[in-house]
Amino acid sequence: MKVILALAASLFSLPAFAAGGFTWLSGIAHSLHIHEHTVTYIFVCSLLLIAGFVYRAKTASVESALVPDKGLSFRNVFESFGEFLFDLAKNIMGEKDAKRYFTLIVTIFMVIFCNNVIGIIPGFLPPTDNFNTTLAMGLFVFIYYNYEGIKAQGFVGHIKHFLGPVIGLAPLMLIIELISHSVRPISLGLRLKGNMEGDHLVLSIFSDLVPYIIPVPFFALGIFVSFIQAFVFTLLTMIYIGSAVEHHDHGDH
Amino acid sequence: MEANAIYALSAALVLSVVGLGGALAQGKTAAAALEGIARNPGAQSKIQTPMIIGLALIESLVIYALVIAFTLAGKIA
Repeated sequence: MKVILALAASLFSLPAFAAGGFTWLSGIAHSLHIHEHTVTYIFVCSLLLIAGFVYRAKTASVESALVPDKGLSFRNVFESFGEFLFDLAKNIMGEKDAKRYFTLIVTIFMVIFCNNVIGIIPGFLPPTDNFNTTLAMGLFVFIYYNYEGIKAQGFVGHIKHFLGPVIGLAPLMLIIELISHSVRPISLGLRLKGNMEGDHLVLSIFSDLVPYIIPVPFFALGIFVSFIQAFVFTLLTMIYIGSAVEHHDHGDH
Repeated sequence: MEANAIYALSAALVLSVVGLGGALAQGKTAAAALEGIARNPGAQSKIQTPMIIGLALIESLVIYALVIAFTLAGKIA
């Protein structure tokens, strides 16, 4: 009840609470005492969930699931995203693993892409320009690929990855591999955060300099960067999972 | 030199040096990939994915420097 009251109150007090510039959701963040990037993240993810339910409803019957729509419809946009990601995953992980991890890959891509692209809309801050959000995503990927690696090859098999191919170099390789594995979540998070923050900064500086026409190419660049960064994050996730679960057939090649 | 000037100078130096290095490396990557595609246009889809991974890994080094530059610039009182 308190939450509903706070939400209702925030609707009438939007600009009043905006400290460093106006944003649409700062009123809600302020009255619920949570950070604004969390509110934006929840907002984006609820929109995605609604879109997912609409898609499910549209393909509920067998006939509508089999017969594709004509032209540029909501469903075709959704399916083209899925097809693009599935082809990519098939190239990197092979058909069997691609099917297995497809739900994770598509979730990561859609969540990051939508969270990046909301920053293009004036009055929204992208949640991914905060290191807390991106580090959480990076840590999730790190834990998940280690878990899958241990599940697929056993604990000893997974540790063997760290030792390198030559037994004499194993002590050296162990240190290098341990460091390179443990910075993966940090580098995933920093790359996404730095790109989104830098991109948003460029956009805001150019909109401050000349408010008309000149920022338009930077909006296009922003959409491109949002896509590329979501793509890179997803790609690296696929590579990490793929290299953790692949079976080494010694002597085969 | 006072501390503020050192912070400002080092923030600018970090970005300029790393920008030069990153641009050279990315240029080399893109040139090699384009040459490969020009020689064999059929291999475009196979070249593109590793190229983007390489570009992203090079760029992430530049982004680390950008984060460092932000922290340095934030220290200017």
